[in-house]
Amino acid sequence: MVSAKLHESLIAVALLALLLGFGAGPARAHKEAHTAEQLKAFEDVFMEQVKIGDLLFHGDPGTQKSLGVQLSKTGMACAMCHPYTSDTHPYQFPKFQEQMNAFATLRDMINWCIEKPNEGEKIDANSDAMKALEAYIYWSNRNSKLEPGVH
Amino acid sequence: MSDREHLRREMDRVLRAPGERPDGSISLTRRTFLHKSLLQGAAGAAAYGLFPTLSMIDLAFAQGGQGFRFAWVSDTHLYPKSLNTRFVEKATRAFKDVQAMSPPPDFLIFGGDLGQLGDPVELQLGADLLQEIKVKKVFIPGEHDWYLDMGATWNRMFGKAPWTFDHKGVRIVGLDTVSHAEDFWTSRKMTAKERMGHMATLDGTLGGAWAAVGAEQLKWLNTALNDWPKDKPVLVFSHNPLYEYYPPWNFWVRDWREVNETLKPFANVTNIHGHVHQPLYNEIGKLRSIGMLATSWPWPYAPEGVPVLTRAMIRVDPGEPFDGVGWGLLTTSANARTDAEYKMWRKEVFATTQVDSGTGDNDNQILSPRIADRI
Repeated sequence: MVSAKLHESLIAVALLALLLGFGAGPARAHKEAHTAEQLKAFEDVFMEQVKIGDLLFHGDPGTQKSLGVQLSKTGMACAMCHPYTSDTHPYQFPKFQEQMNAFATLRDMINWCIEKPNEGEKIDANSDAMKALEAYIYWSNRNSKLEPGVH
Repeated sequence: MSDREHLRREMDRVLRAPGERPDGSISLTRRTFLHKSLLQGAAGAAAYGLFPTLSMIDLAFAQGGQGFRFAWVSDTHLYPKSLNTRFVEKATRAFKDVQAMSPPPDFLIFGGDLGQLGDPVELQLGADLLQEIKVKKVFIPGEHDWYLDMGATWNRMFGKAPWTFDHKGVRIVGLDTVSHAEDFWTSRKMTAKERMGHMATLDGTLGGAWAAVGAEQLKWLNTALNDWPKDKPVLVFSHNPLYEYYPPWNFWVRDWREVNETLKPFANVTNIHGHVHQPLYNEIGKLRSIGMLATSWPWPYAPEGVPVLTRAMIRVDPGEPFDGVGWGLLTTSANARTDAEYKMWRKEVFATTQVDSGTGDNDNQILSPRIADRI
């Protein structure tokens, strides 16, 4: 049964939607419709990060230097164990991660791999390098369905 | 059914003679596992992880041969010691294991990718480590050994492939499946190191379908087998698999159909290959293929194409450098059967469920050229 409070909230949302014009036009009534150029620009921003992430994932020295990171000290790169990001399972995070014995995000896992197998230097979880690695890993797994928590 | 699966089945249909069935060794393999696990006091097939002898794949060789054993080591991917000692430790362990065998193996086959970037320092390091092994050694190259100087150092230090010799009733052939890449470097004005870097990238795009036997070597293979009785066993060593597993990672040779046609007249052909860094088993017609471990690191099973006859390796712990890697011991028994054993440095080798092998993990991928290669 819907509580009285929730019922009032639903009515309020419905009234707001009417005021904003939902149902009478495009869902983006709160802003201008995107132009094709804008959408292309958004995609370009994303794909640039994917490319940077690809270079980092494959151990490109120049990209690491420009971002001030050292992802490996053994010569190993992420892609050597994860060709095309295979077995990175980004769609399963957050989840309990055995190696860490902890509940972990994809960023935690990236840092674990940098520190353990690669013997590199852990990177800031919100750094440009981390975002680029994340972009590349997600892009490479873009056909996945979300399975958070699955091992 | 995918086009690739359709093609695979069609090739098998064409190559397998009427009335033939997949080799009975598969059922023998299962019996071997069960027998061994019972000996160990373990229950059921789930407990067939043996230590240190971890798997058995029985292969029928023609009757009449003598028994012998040989060792396979490959994919050591050595860096200079100053950069990485981990791979040195693992290669050293494998070579010491081989040397410690009693009685010793008749020979060692090194199956390619001794170095990581073809650096003469890496190849010399490998040669130094291989001094540990006193028995006969034979070599075939991997792509990581080749593309810095197009095989010059490799050939000088380890000899040219292909080659062949007969051993106790078996004709043994070593192939070069790595030197046939199309020239992607000249027009791009790449340095030798840049060329090597692209070839050393498994999921790279520019190297293309570089794995091949090539027309000239196929002609040589025909000649090398021409005087060999069709009912006698043939053993073929190659870095890459001689069938189509997963072309985007060159887990194949691009002319595998022609190779299979060449080997088709022979009743008993076994191909032992490296490159894949994982246990694999396949049969196409009369050609059996066994994929061997690397000593350096394991690879995940490819998104598609894993042969259904394969017993998949269990997931490994990336935090444990000695997990998921090792070498191989192959034994031809006196009654002309050969066991292939994965000498993996852990207790359990094979997964009993897909979730533990990861063979179904990556089929979500939309394969596309490497984004950083789109220059």
